[in-house]
Amino acid sequence: MAQAQPPIVVVEDIHKFFTRGSERIDVLNGLSLEVPEGEFLALMGPSGSGKTTLLNLIAGLDRPSQGRIWVRGQEISSMSEGQLAGWRTRNIGFVFQFYHLIPVLTAYRNVELPLLLLPLSRAQRRRQVLNALDIVGLSDRIHHRPGQLSGGQQQRVGIARAIVTDPAIIVADEPTGDLDAKSAEEILDLLCELRSSLGKTIIMVTHDPRAAQRADRVLHLDKGRLTSEVPSAVS
Amino acid sequence: MKLFGLIADNILRNPVRSLLTILGTMVLVFVVTLVWSILDFLNAATATRTSNFKAIVTERWRLPSQMPYSYAATLKEGAAREPGHIRPRDAMCWSFYGGSLDREKRTRENSLFAFALEPPKLLTMMDELDSLPPDQHREFAEVVRRLEQNRQGIILGRQRLEAIQKRVGDRIKIYSLNYRGIDLEFEIVGLFPPGRYDNSAAMNIDYLTAALDAYQRENGQPHPLADKSLNLVWLRMQDTAEFDRIAQQILTAPYYSNPAVKIETASSGIATFLEAYRDLLWGMRYLLAPAILVTMALVISNAISISVRERQVEFAVLKVLGYRPFHILSLVLGEAILVGSLSGLVSAALTFSVVNYVVGGIKFPIAFFGAFFIPSQALLWGTIVGAATALAGSFLPAWSACRVKVTDVFARVG
Amino acid sequence: MSFLGLAVGGLLWGGIIPGLSHFVTAGTLLAVVIVFLLYGASRIPTSYNVLNLQVRWRTTLLTALAFTLVTALLTVMLAFVNGMYALTLGSGNPENVIILSEGSTDEGFSNLGFSDVNDIGTQPGILQEDGVPLLSRETYLVVNQPIPNAPPGRPKRRFLQLRGIDDPKIAARVHRVELYPGGEWFSDAGVRQLSDGQIAVEVVLGEGIARELARDRDGNGAKKIRLEVGDQFILNDRPWLVVGVMQSSGKTFDSEVWGKRSLIGPMFGKETYSTLVARTASPDDAVKLRDYFNRQYKRAAVNAQIETDYFASLSETNKQFLVAIAFVTVVLAIGGVFGIMNTMYAAISQRTKDIGVLRLLGFRRHQILVAFLTESLMIAVAGGVVGIALGCLSHGWTANSVVGGQGGGKFVVLRLMIDADTIALGLLLTVATGILGGLMPALRAMRMSALDALR
Repeated sequence: MAQAQPPIVVVEDIHKFFTRGSERIDVLNGLSLEVPEGEFLALMGPSGSGKTTLLNLIAGLDRPSQGRIWVRGQEISSMSEGQLAGWRTRNIGFVFQFYHLIPVLTAYRNVELPLLLLPLSRAQRRRQVLNALDIVGLSDRIHHRPGQLSGGQQQRVGIARAIVTDPAIIVADEPTGDLDAKSAEEILDLLCELRSSLGKTIIMVTHDPRAAQRADRVLHLDKGRLTSEVPSAVS
Repeated sequence: MKLFGLIADNILRNPVRSLLTILGTMVLVFVVTLVWSILDFLNAATATRTSNFKAIVTERWRLPSQMPYSYAATLKEGAAREPGHIRPRDAMCWSFYGGSLDREKRTRENSLFAFALEPPKLLTMMDELDSLPPDQHREFAEVVRRLEQNRQGIILGRQRLEAIQKRVGDRIKIYSLNYRGIDLEFEIVGLFPPGRYDNSAAMNIDYLTAALDAYQRENGQPHPLADKSLNLVWLRMQDTAEFDRIAQQILTAPYYSNPAVKIETASSGIATFLEAYRDLLWGMRYLLAPAILVTMALVISNAISISVRERQVEFAVLKVLGYRPFHILSLVLGEAILVGSLSGLVSAALTFSVVNYVVGGIKFPIAFFGAFFIPSQALLWGTIVGAATALAGSFLPAWSACRVKVTDVFARVG
Repeated sequence: MSFLGLAVGGLLWGGIIPGLSHFVTAGTLLAVVIVFLLYGASRIPTSYNVLNLQVRWRTTLLTALAFTLVTALLTVMLAFVNGMYALTLGSGNPENVIILSEGSTDEGFSNLGFSDVNDIGTQPGILQEDGVPLLSRETYLVVNQPIPNAPPGRPKRRFLQLRGIDDPKIAARVHRVELYPGGEWFSDAGVRQLSDGQIAVEVVLGEGIARELARDRDGNGAKKIRLEVGDQFILNDRPWLVVGVMQSSGKTFDSEVWGKRSLIGPMFGKETYSTLVARTASPDDAVKLRDYFNRQYKRAAVNAQIETDYFASLSETNKQFLVAIAFVTVVLAIGGVFGIMNTMYAAISQRTKDIGVLRLLGFRRHQILVAFLTESLMIAVAGGVVGIALGCLSHGWTANSVVGGQGGGKFVVLRLMIDADTIALGLLLTVATGILGGLMPALRAMRMSALDALR
């Protein structure tokens, strides 16, 4: 697994705790991690193990209570919330379990959402949206609203929205959790495809061992610590 | 502006809710427009003007003002009697002649009240009629010419004509209420332009004067109102200095001793009348209108906060995608303002056209103003009021929307 | 239901605005019946609604607040018109006959000559006291009073209603007006020499105009609430001395200045009388006297009316105001309906699952309907009751206005008045709006099938 280039994500001894009333809940306890560029990493673990929290931290949705995180050489753990928001648009693509598409918008307009924040002309936006929808294989569904699409198709729109700004990293929280086996396979195929042909780094939280199998590497979390590192059988 | 599409799409998300909010805003803007139109008109009527304004001369003490018609000639000249005295730019004398078409049964419908005056003054001295648009002016000038030529003529407002169920060209007989025993026959020679004078009537002063003379010949004694037939004299003033000089000329003139007269600007005269409605107008201005505005803000606020709560996850997703709080704030505020200003504009436009052209003004019994009309600025107020109340009402929900914490919304500590 | 007592009170307690009472009582009764039917028909515990309202406290509050404002406005506006009616209906006495010259609808236009007035006083049917007929001979005048120290931007004159009276003692008997302690009626001469040598006109003021005239004294010194005995004001360039203040609240005399007719009439160029008011032994006698003057009396052409009828005829403006208020209220209520519909539609879409569960548990469609209607009623009534309570604070405020009929009017000071009708009408509006606004959303909830709702 030795890589010549530096890892794209470096997590260094992070702690994360929440307080509920007077009670302090420790979610992550001194966790460290490196993710090389172009890796497909799966995070597994029981509920409450901190895997989503870790994902949120890497994606810049939240900041650690202690410790530091670098992504592409930038220390995101010290950025302000506003800086993080702009940084996310350019560097991170999100895929959610429940797709989280905006029901009133067509597939096209949903995918376009992140681009509205960038200084792009309408034509440029159009080119990128169509390209993203083409990659996920939904060129024929661009004017459908989420309600008119199947779960698998909605998740593809979700993926198209995640890659439309051409981010280096895609984070996916249970991307197949709400799909039937066949759709889930298709989505995993698509993610692998993104890694192999576009070189995206993919970090995926999942409960599903079959999904985890598709990753290059699987990390198990329990009680806020990494318990084991299992190179996936496939790679 | 790139977010505008998102705002527009969102209004269509829940068409029922948007429609209810729009309708709610519209009816409330409607009431505000009515109330403000009345207040605006009264404000304008009582606003002090410093150039090209009118002054009124009336009996000094008593109300209603009744002066001998012999005052008319000199008052129209501003009582100019010495070298160096100045004359007003224009003048008009008013006598009121009122009565009903039925001698026995007097009703609101069969009654009318006419200004008896020199017909040409209708075009130069009457509020609004002195500034008609060219085509209306041409048309009305023709009507006035007919009144000048036909001493028995009468000009009616459209609603008055409708109420007495007559047509232009018909003859009517009026049994007078104030000039008892002087019942006059008239021929309807034309109509006032639509608007302020819809319920008015105008007759030729010569007709009334001749009738008073005839009364004296037939009865051997003058009519009780013979030397009280001049009610009001209007003078047009160039500026305040001119007003002051002419006021001085009139107040020092030896002609007006019994009764004495007073002169005031038209706006101050109207203000005195409105003083009787002081508390009512205060209530309209400071209770009714604000309460309606707040109600509007509440209705909009309610709709927006419902919508914001339903879209918590959506706002969180947008934040994940990199949207900043102010983006979200502007999405929510933008939606509210768009709904508010559009409903306000449409409502004001509907109010403007329906009240002015279909209903014939707001009938509200304040002072001697028969009906109030919606000014064209109402379109502007409507839009602004809609937008401003929407802004006020949506600010809190918008604030809570932009404060959505992503990690709380996806709160699954996994 | 807390407002039941109020509503029943409305049934028992007559209101002032004529014709409104029956409508209001019937409507309130109907509303109460509807509420009870709803309450009885639903098996879903009310606490379910209450809890839901608490959970969605923000929308509940916003909607209820809108109701509060609308009903508060309605209550204040009705109290105003109520006050106008109280004046026009409370001013006259049914035993009194008011006589004006023929054709005059208003005192201001009436002219009765001296000899006619003397003759009228000798006619039978007028109650006598100590051999003197109880006939008040009066001249009513409206004059301009320049306002001293008028603040900039305020009018520089006011209209003052003067009533010249021949004999104040008789006028007091006829009109049943008394002075506040410490006051006296003006003397026979009607004037008094002041300490500085000036001759002042003696007058008695209505309470309302005494307050109005006191406004001129703002500025230096203690702010007076009303002019009192011994105070002066200026009119017609001479001093006028207050010798008494009338207990005139609720009558149009409240806004009048009374003085010696033989002095005041000529001072403003009115030599004749405008008004005669005759007291008879009973309302029936008053009718007879009125008919006598209108039909048989030939010496002068007069227009006699029962005094209460005369004042009632001044209620034309009241009606117009009432129409305007009804209009504004209905429009505002429509706004309220839209507001509550929004709230209820949202409540229902949020609780689709609840509805499914309730239906599966065996609740009937109409019970679902009633549960949601009850909820919208709760919001409306909660807001409405607070609004009415706020509106009730205006009870007793004074406001100036004009009452009048065709061809005449009087400047009056009125007292805003809340009564059972005002309250009942506010409740009626509230309940009606709550039901109207809740009905369509509740129908939607009712029509949902259990399985669809749960999906």
